Order: sequence, then C-alpha cells, then structure tokens
Amino acid sequence: MKTLNRRDFLKTSGAAALFAATPGLAYSQVVGGPGPFSDYKALVCVFLFGGNDSFNMLVPNTTAEYNAYAASRQNLALLQSDLLPITPASSSGADFGLHPAMGSLQSLFESGSAAFVTNVGPLMEPTTRDQYFNRSVQLPPQLFSHNDQQDQWTSLRGNVPGKTGWAGRIADLMRSGVAGQQMATNASLFGSNLFQSANETVAYVMGPGGPIPFEGFSNVPDTLLYEQRQAFLRIVNADYDTIYERGFAAVQRRAIDAADTVTAALDNAPVLSTVFPQSQLGTQLETVARLIAVRDELQMQRQIFFVATGGFDSHDDQVENQPGLLGGVADAIAAFYDATSELNMAGQVTTFTQSDFGRTLTSNGDGTDHAWGGNQFVVGGAVNGGDLYGSYPLLAIGGPEDVGGGRMIPSTSADQYAATLARWFGIPDADLDIVAPHLSSFVQRDLGFMQ
Amino acid sequence: MMKTRILTGLAVAMLGLAACGAGSSEPPAPPGPTPVTKAEAFQLLNQATFGATEAEADRVIAMRIEPWIEDQLRKPPSLQLPHMLTLPPPQFMGQLHTDRVDVWFRNALHGEDQLRQRVAFALSEIMVVSQLGALQDRPFAVADYYDVLVRNAFGNYRELIEEVTLHPAMGVYLSMLGNRKPNVTLNIRPDENYARELMQLFSIGLVELDPDGTAKLDPVTNQPIPTYDQSIIEGFAHVFTGWTWAGSPSFGSGRVPTASQYFPMELWPSEHDTGAKTLLNGMTLPAGQSGEQDLAAALDNIFGHPNVGPFMAIRLIQRLTTSNPSPGYVRRVAAVFDDNGSGVRGDLGAVVKAILLDPEARPAAHMEIDGKLKEPLLRLTQLYRAYNARSASERYPLLASYIIFGQGPLQSPSVFNFFSPFYAPPGEIRNNNLVAPELEIATEYLNTFTTNYMFFQVFGLNQTNPDLDEDDIFIDIQQEMNVAADIDALIDMVAGKLLGGRISGTLRTEIAGMVARLPATETTLRAAETIYLIVTSPEYAYQR
Repeated sequence: MKTLNRRDFLKTSGAAALFAATPGLAYSQVVGGPGPFSDYKALVCVFLFGGNDSFNMLVPNTTAEYNAYAASRQNLALLQSDLLPITPASSSGADFGLHPAMGSLQSLFESGSAAFVTNVGPLMEPTTRDQYFNRSVQLPPQLFSHNDQQDQWTSLRGNVPGKTGWAGRIADLMRSGVAGQQMATNASLFGSNLFQSANETVAYVMGPGGPIPFEGFSNVPDTLLYEQRQAFLRIVNADYDTIYERGFAAVQRRAIDAADTVTAALDNAPVLSTVFPQSQLGTQLETVARLIAVRDELQMQRQIFFVATGGFDSHDDQVENQPGLLGGVADAIAAFYDATSELNMAGQVTTFTQSDFGRTLTSNGDGTDHAWGGNQFVVGGAVNGGDLYGSYPLLAIGGPEDVGGGRMIPSTSADQYAATLARWFGIPDADLDIVAPHLSSFVQRDLGFMQ
Repeated sequence: MMKTRILTGLAVAMLGLAACGAGSSEPPAPPGPTPVTKAEAFQLLNQATFGATEAEADRVIAMRIEPWIEDQLRKPPSLQLPHMLTLPPPQFMGQLHTDRVDVWFRNALHGEDQLRQRVAFALSEIMVVSQLGALQDRPFAVADYYDVLVRNAFGNYRELIEEVTLHPAMGVYLSMLGNRKPNVTLNIRPDENYARELMQLFSIGLVELDPDGTAKLDPVTNQPIPTYDQSIIEGFAHVFTGWTWAGSPSFGSGRVPTASQYFPMELWPSEHDTGAKTLLNGMTLPAGQSGEQDLAAALDNIFGHPNVGPFMAIRLIQRLTTSNPSPGYVRRVAAVFDDNGSGVRGDLGAVVKAILLDPEARPAAHMEIDGKLKEPLLRLTQLYRAYNARSASERYPLLASYIIFGQGPLQSPSVFNFFSPFYAPPGEIRNNNLVAPELEIATEYLNTFTTNYMFFQVFGLNQTNPDLDEDDIFIDIQQEMNVAADIDALIDMVAGKLLGGRISGTLRTEIAGMVARLPATETTLRAAETIYLIVTSPEYAYQR
C-alpha cells in the first residue's frame, strides 16, 4: 500500500482549502514550498506604463461590433480595412483585428504562440454596471489613478493595506525550493517595483543591459583594488544608527554580491543570432534572453523578470504616437520569442503584458483618458495560443460595461490572470489565493490560456 | 596601482557617452541665542542648501540659525531664462537642455539664494514637468517653468498654482494646452489629465486628511475617504478648456514663436466650455462664466481645501528635513500654511521657516527615524560645493544626470517624480510602516552607477589631471594633498568638509588602513582615496 506523505494527506483531505481560507498562512509553508524543480521556467512581465489604449490594439472585426467601436471612438478609430485580421480558435472566422503596426504579434497569434486576455483589470469581486453605481460591491480604491492602478495590477491587494506584489509572493512561496539559485528569483531591468516586492525575498535590480561592475574593485587577493573592495564592504557591513543608512548599506551589499556573479555569468553568454529592436524594451528583453541563456551557470530554476516601457499615457496625439508604441512592443516581444526559440526555451518562458488601465473609448480631442478594463496578451510556447480568453465587451458608449465616457468594467479580474500564470509557474492550487487574494471571488480559477 | 590617466580616459568616455545619449504637538520653543556647533550648522545647511560647506557653516555659526534663514528669505532669485536668452540660436532646439542643466548647476552650486534654490528644487519634485517627453523641444519653457518655482518659492501658494497652471510647460506636459470644450456628436469631452494630477499630486491628494496629515477614515467602512470622484475630475477638466500658446495663430498644435514658451497660456473664449461645473466640497460654478473667471474660482476652490496645508507640509518636510515626520510636526507646519500669523493662508516662506525651525528638524536626542537619505543629485552637489568643482569652460553640462544618478533637474520619467513619497523598501522600514522615498532610486543598479561616477570624479577628474577637456567638471583636492603625509590630518580635513567633522570609527579606521597602503609620496591618490570612501559611505548618504 502506498503511504501518504503529509503533502498528499493535505491534498486529499481537503485541508488545502482550509489554508487557502486562512489569511497569511500558506499551504506550502506547512507542507514545504514548491520545488525543488527538475525544470526551468521564467515569467517575463512587460509593463506598459501610462495605461495602454488596448481597445485600439485588439479591435472587433465583425460588422456590428466594429460599427459600435467606430461610433464610440470617432476620430481615434482605426479603419476596418487597416486592421490586421486574426482568427481566434473559438470564433467562426477573422472576427478580430490587430492594430496595423502589430504585424509581428499577428504572426505569433496565428501560429499559436500568442493569446489575448480581453477586458481584464483589477476587481475585488464580479461587478456589474448597476452594482458599480449602487456601490453594492467592493471596488479597488482610486480607480483611474495611474499609480494606484499600477499598484492594483501588481499587488492585487484590493482595499487591504499591503506592500507586496504578486511576483514577490510567488518568490516567497518558492524560496525553499530554489535555495541554490545564485541570483534572486525576481530580477528587474526597470527599477524598483511593487510587483516583485516581498516579505522574505528581495528582488535584484539591474540595468537595461544587465548589471554593471564596481570600478576600482578586484577579486584578486593581495592587490590594492582587492583591499579597496574589502574596505568598502566592511564599511557597508558596519552597524548604523538610522533606518536610512541601514537601507542604503543593504543595497550596496547586494549590489556588490550580485554584480560579481551575474556579470561573470553573462560574460559567458552565447551570442544570439536573433536581432532585437534598438529600443528601451528591445535592450531589456535582449538582456533577459542572455540571462536565460546562462541559467544553468547561475543554477536558476525559476525566474521572474520585470521589464517595462513608457509613453502609453496618450492624452495627446494618440493617433500619431500609437503606431510607434504598439509596433515597438510587438516587435520587441516577437524578437524575444524568437530568441527563446533559438535557445530551445520557448516552452519554458512565458511573456505577458500588464498596464495601468485601459483608456476611455471617447476622445478628449486628440487622445484618451484614464479608464479601467483593457486587453492584455501572453506569448510563449506553453501558451494555448491563437485564441481569446475572457469576454470581449460591446464597445458602445452607455453599453452594459460602460461606467461613463467608455470606461469599461473588467469582465475578467487581474487576479484570475495572475493565478493562471502562477499555476503554470508551479504554484499549487491551494496557494494561488496567496498570489491572487481575490481569486476565490471568481468562478474560474484558471482562465485556460496556459498549457 | 591605480592609473589616474587611464581613469580619466574612462571618465571622459563615460561623460561623452552620457552626454550624447540621451512627536510632540507642543509649539516650537522660540529660538534662543544658543551657540551653534559646526555639526549643527552642517545639519541645517544640508537641509537648506545644495550642500554644507565650512565657509557657510562659519556664517551660520556667526549669525545663528534663525537670522541665517531670515537672511536667505530675503535673497533675490537666481534665474535660468535670462541666461538661456543670451545663447546663440542652436542647431537643434533640444540641445539647449544641456545649457538649461548647466545653469541649474551654476545656481545650485554658486547662487547666493541657496535656500530659495533648494525649495524650488523641492517644488520641482512635487509639481513636476520634465524635459523627457513632449517638452524635449521646448527648453525655454522648461527653464522658465523652473524660474516660476524659484520666484514663488517663498511666495504664496495660490499665486504659485496659478502660474503653474497657466505655464505652457505644464500645459504641454499635462495636456491642458489645446484642451477644447466638448463636442457631443463626436464623443469628445475635455482632457482630464491636468485636472486629475493638479489635485492628486500638486495640492490635496487622494484622501481626506486630518490637520496632522493622517488619513481620515470612514466610520462605517474604516476605509480612507476619497477627496474627489470622477464627476469632480470632469468638472475641473471643463474648467481647464480654452487655453493655448500665447500668440498662437491657431488653437491646436502648429508653429508658435519661441517666446511663446515663456509667456503664460492665453484663453481662446470660443474653445472654453461655458456650462456649469461641479468642483470640490459641493461647490458648483455657474454656467456662462469666462475662462478666466472659471479658472480663478477653481483654483480658489482647491486652495481653500483643508488638505492643502497638511499635504504640502508633508511633501516639503520630506524633501527638506525628514522622511517620517511625526503628526505633531505636520500639524505645526500645516498650521503655518493655514495662517502665517498675520492671517495669510499659503505663505510658503513662512512654511519653509517653520519646517527648518521646528524642534523635530534638529532634535536634541537623535532617533533612528530622524532625518532622511540624501537624494543622489544632492550628494553630488554637496561634493561639488565642498571642493569648488568647476570646468575650464565654466560650464556644468551634466545633461546625463538622470542616467547617472536616476534624477536630474526637471528630468523625471513621469509626473510622479523620481520616487514616490510613499515608497517603503522591504524590511524594517516597511514592517514599521515607515517610508524612505529616496531609497526607491537607490537600486543596486543606480547605486553602482553613482558610486562609479564618484570614483571617476574623485580619482580622475581633479585638478591634478593634465588631460582635462574644457567641459570636464573637476574638483580641487590640493589642500588634502598638502596634508596627505599625515593620515589623521588628511581624514580630519575631509571629514570636516564633507561630514561636518562627525565621522564613525569604522569609516576612519578603513580609510586609515587604505591610505596607509599608499606611499606618502602618492599625495593625489591618498587624498582621492579618502574622499572616495567618504562620499560613497552610508553616513555621507544620510542627511541628519
């Protein structure tokens, strides 16, 4: 007879659900976190700062739905004839089209390597228009505000105070399973961020091209520059009286430690034949590809990368700027997908977008303002691509999802989006509620876009 | 052995690359005739200037603290636009941002109006516009916007927000410039950008505050109470319609004279919405008012909101003295905002004085949350002031400041500034519900970049280097070299200039150990090593 271990017992007894319902207590903290892993997986978050106008990224291509879109958007609407048609698996034909600058994303979608999650955004529970106006449901605080909605997307905290991000919580849950890693699970190429902020683990922030070494330091003993490094280290390792000095010194310590190991590993990275766009995002994603190439040298098993680009706050000149913005994102992510294919890692790397919010369907003259739900996309070999997930709203002013001016109530929650990615990444079902605290308010725990 | 010549080559290459690339609620005790120590003078000067120097500390010691502040409040402003207007026409308009940064450094390093410049810098991190983005080709507008902050640093907040609101730099940056009245048939409604950020970031914030700056809670839901909702945003968005470049031939975009960059925006009555508008605190503007009437009433409406005092008190305290003021400190400063003692609301000079003279700004017993981290740019300016940094061309063309230090004059990545006033790094700071805004840009990456810059600056870009280019900013370490044979004297001298004489045992020991490894004849290296280990140390990064 097979004997049950503790983990099996908890699984089979339904005890896991108890842990899920107990705030702050992780299933995996009781039974031992996920891992050690026999494989490698990476999540790559591409954050589009400013709030991407994603109803011009993924556009309805059927007559009635396109007409509703065009009537709402007026001078911001794309011509139907300019749309790049896509044929989602779950629809009968080319029912949707992409912004004409996103040809590289069209190819990824049609080849089954990209999926869209539609009208997704922060929610605390399913919300209808009536409930919104009656205030009969809990809403994420400070809707339509940039920093607050960036926080909602990346923390999923709802109206509860909390300063960890969902990638940070994933790293915390996994920390014992990946203890041999030479670099933190979370790495940012775009500065500090709430997404990767955690209680038990610390994200490592490098530059868009990777870490830079300290000048004037050597690792060769008995040299002056070695002594300089040691003196510097003893200074930052000293005891300090204030929280500010201690905080500053801690960063310096981590910087010195990681710069050595990561720089040394990257020096051995193979030269990629994939050509990346010369852009802020292209540079960051090229560095991520190189880091993935040296994963074994750094003994990495699970990595979450944060990369980002800005300029999406299109209050002004939207028609002029949108092609460059959307085309730039599509081309950089397509190049990154190609690089992961070149490394034979496409199935182990999943790239996904997040952004502050969607934007108003109505125009302010030459641009759009802050709204709520929007469309995101996911790229990788493990994606059930070539399809749309979630429901796509009727883009009509005063329609069933519009709370005014064409601000769409999300029909799918950011919690569901995060949980689907976290499950693929190796978080057990019982701990998904720690990653995505409002997941239990929604029927679907898994949106199905990951294999 | 370190080769300064090689380092200089690297430093020059790096510069070239970067330049091309892109408590208590008791009222404060009246200031007595207490003598001021050098350490106390340094503390005040690091709060109130672009970096303490021994010469200025002597002045504070001679004058005492309050008279020194009073004297600073009377200093006339050092401005940017007059300098910008003397420059020959550029090949590309955007290249004048290098000159704009240059004149910022001149004023920050050498301006007599140090306190005014420091407060203007603080305001530039609250009411943010940035060169990066739509203002890249408007350097005159950006320079003149900074001058608005400099001129109004000790003026009235109501006048300040009016000048900010009507400035074309802000008009471009937050898209009020060219904002039109609604067109219902085309689903066009006014742009909400400026309306939202004026309230969220420049004046009242998102939630209702008590006079001590703590958030009020709804007694039923126990949640903070929003200061406004979408309908109020829309009300203000309608107010801010009808404004465009001064002297513009058309309302929308189009070629405008260069001088339009530094004149307030002009109203086109035909583009202003004349309907009624819902504002804060239940106020409704009647239909049929002019654009000027609507604007004045709307700014009065914001200015009258009880949040402005505690909101601006917290923002300015965090920029000048401490990241984590007590509620009592906020209440005392907010009370001065509400009434300067003569019945005037919004007197920023009085607010600044209250911030600096508060007992919490110079506590008798130092606690671990007192003070703040210095912003990286201020670590640089303090070094520059202490070591008389200059270039042969007399310019400071550090356009790449935002790349090297994560911040530069009006070079924020967004209207949300270089860092958030609420940033709390993981660990003891977050766990104790404290904040350390400047730590948001003290990442591993930026700290390394800044540390390396200090290395190049100190070892490579000093007066001993015979290969300096005319725009290389170099420091003068001759006095240190003169005493370099005497290690204790050397450390005392640098600690005196950079730390007000207060240096930890660890730092002194480590410097002494390193300097002793260098032959006494290597006076440049000995001096540079001492300065390098101090300017990269946690204790130098800390502002008491």
